[in-house]
Amino acid sequence: MDPEKILSSDEILEKIEAVCKRHFSAEVDQNECYVFVIDGLKADNFKRLRAYKGRSKLSTYLYSLINALVVDFRRKRYGRRRIPSGVVKLGKWAEAVYRLVCWQKFSFDDAFDFVRIDGLFEGTYEQFIREIAPIRNAPCRENPTFQSIDEHRGSSLQNIADSGSNPLEFLIEKLDRERRIKALKVIRETTEAFSEKDQILVRLVYGSDQPVSVTAKVIDLPASAARRRLKGLLTKYRERLLAEGIREP
Amino acid sequence: MGRWINKIIKPTVAPEPEDHIAIEDLARLADGAVDKAENQHFIRHLNRCQRCYEILQETLKDLADEASVQTTSSPWWKTRTAYALAASIILVLLIGGQLVFNYWNQRPQVILATLNLDQQLKDILLVDDALRWEKGERVNRLVAALQQKGLQVKELNLVVLSKPYYQKKSLFGPKEALHIRIENKVAYLEVKEMNQ
Ligand SMILES: [Zn+2]
Repeated sequence: MDPEKILSSDEILEKIEAVCKRHFSAEVDQNECYVFVIDGLKADNFKRLRAYKGRSKLSTYLYSLINALVVDFRRKRYGRRRIPSGVVKLGKWAEAVYRLVCWQKFSFDDAFDFVRIDGLFEGTYEQFIREIAPIRNAPCRENPTFQSIDEHRGSSLQNIADSGSNPLEFLIEKLDRERRIKALKVIRETTEAFSEKDQILVRLVYGSDQPVSVTAKVIDLPASAARRRLKGLLTKYRERLLAEGIREP
Repeated sequence: MGRWINKIIKPTVAPEPEDHIAIEDLARLADGAVDKAENQHFIRHLNRCQRCYEILQETLKDLADEASVQTTSSPWWKTRTAYALAASIILVLLIGGQLVFNYWNQRPQVILATLNLDQQLKDILLVDDALRWEKGERVNRLVAALQQKGLQVKELNLVVLSKPYYQKKSLFGPKEALHIRIENKVAYLEVKEMNQ
C-alpha cells in the first residue's frame, strides 16, 4: 500500500468530501472537516494509513478511518462549544434542550419529549413553552433558525417521511405526545434488557436503518436467522407496549 | 433514518469507555471477518460506546453505497432484463441509498426506479383507490415527491397503478417498495413487499 498514492486518488478525496457533507450541513464546517481528515491521514508520515495490516479489506479500512477522523473532528468541535451562561443558569434540562435544538437541530417540541423521557423536565408542555423563552433568545451560531419552532417542524416532518419501513418509528409517529413519551421509554427499557447481540441488532436495523443482511454479518449470523430474531424481538416490543396500554391508533 | 428510535436506543453509557476498538477491527467487523470470541467482545463495547458505534454505522453506510454503485440489477430490474438489454444504460444514479436507473433507448427516455414506500408516497397512494390518475393535483404531488427523491421527472400526463393500495398498519407490516416505470409522460406504479 502506498499512502501517497491513496491520498492522491480522486476516489478517496471525493469520499472524504462526501462523508464530511453527511456529517455537517454548513459549508464552512464541511471544509474544515475535509482539511482535518486530510491532515489526520498525512500526520506522522501517514501513520494511520501505514497502520493497516491487511486484516480487513483496504476499502473498508479507509472508510472506517475516514469516519473515525470525522467523528473525532465533530466531537472536538462540539467539545469546544460552550452553552450560553443564560441557559446553564436554568439547569440541566435547559442545557439538554439547547444541545438538542441548537446543535442537533431537533425542534423545541421534540426536545420537550426527550427531556421528559430522560426525566429532566417534569412539568407540562405549557410550562415548558413558558420556561424555554430564555433558551430561544440565546445565541446559536450552528442553527440560524434557532428561534422558530415552525421551521423545525418542517424538518421533522421531512424526517417522518423516511420512516416507511421501520415499524417502531412508524408506531411512534402515530402516537400523541403523552403516549409517545411512554412508548419511547418502554422501547428503550425493552432494548436494554435484550442480550448484547440483540441490542446491536435492533440498534443497527431500527436505529440506524441498516439492511438486515449487512447487520447479520456484523453479529456473525446468517441473514435468515437475524430476520427470525428480529421478528421475535418485535413481538417482545409489542407485548411490552401492549402491557403499558399502548397500541397502534 | 428513524429519528426517534435512533435517538432513543443509541448507546449512551456515561462515561464512555476509553479502550476503543481499533480502526482495522471495526473494518473487520463491517466485513464480517472476526471470530466468535472477538465478536462478543466488540459487540459488548459497541453497545456502550457511541464513538465506535457511530464509526461502524457510518462505515456500513459507505459499504452500502459502494455495493449499490456496483449493483447493476435489482430483483425487479431482473424481470425486465430483455428490455434492459435492448437499451443502452447511460447513467446509474445513486440517490439517498436507492438506485435509480435512467436509460435512454435513443428516444424516448425511460425511467425505472425502486423507492422505499415512505409516508409521503403512501399519502399520495391513499387519496382514493382510483387506478388511473389524470393530470391534476394528485399527479402534481407525485411529480414533486419523485423530484424530491432525485428522479428527473418534469411532468406526467397519466399515472397508472397496478392495483389499489391499502395501508398496512401492523408493527409487523412488511417493508414495501414502490416500483416505477415512466415512459412518454406516463408513470406505471406497482407496490411490492420487499424480501427484507
Ligand atoms: Zn469505543
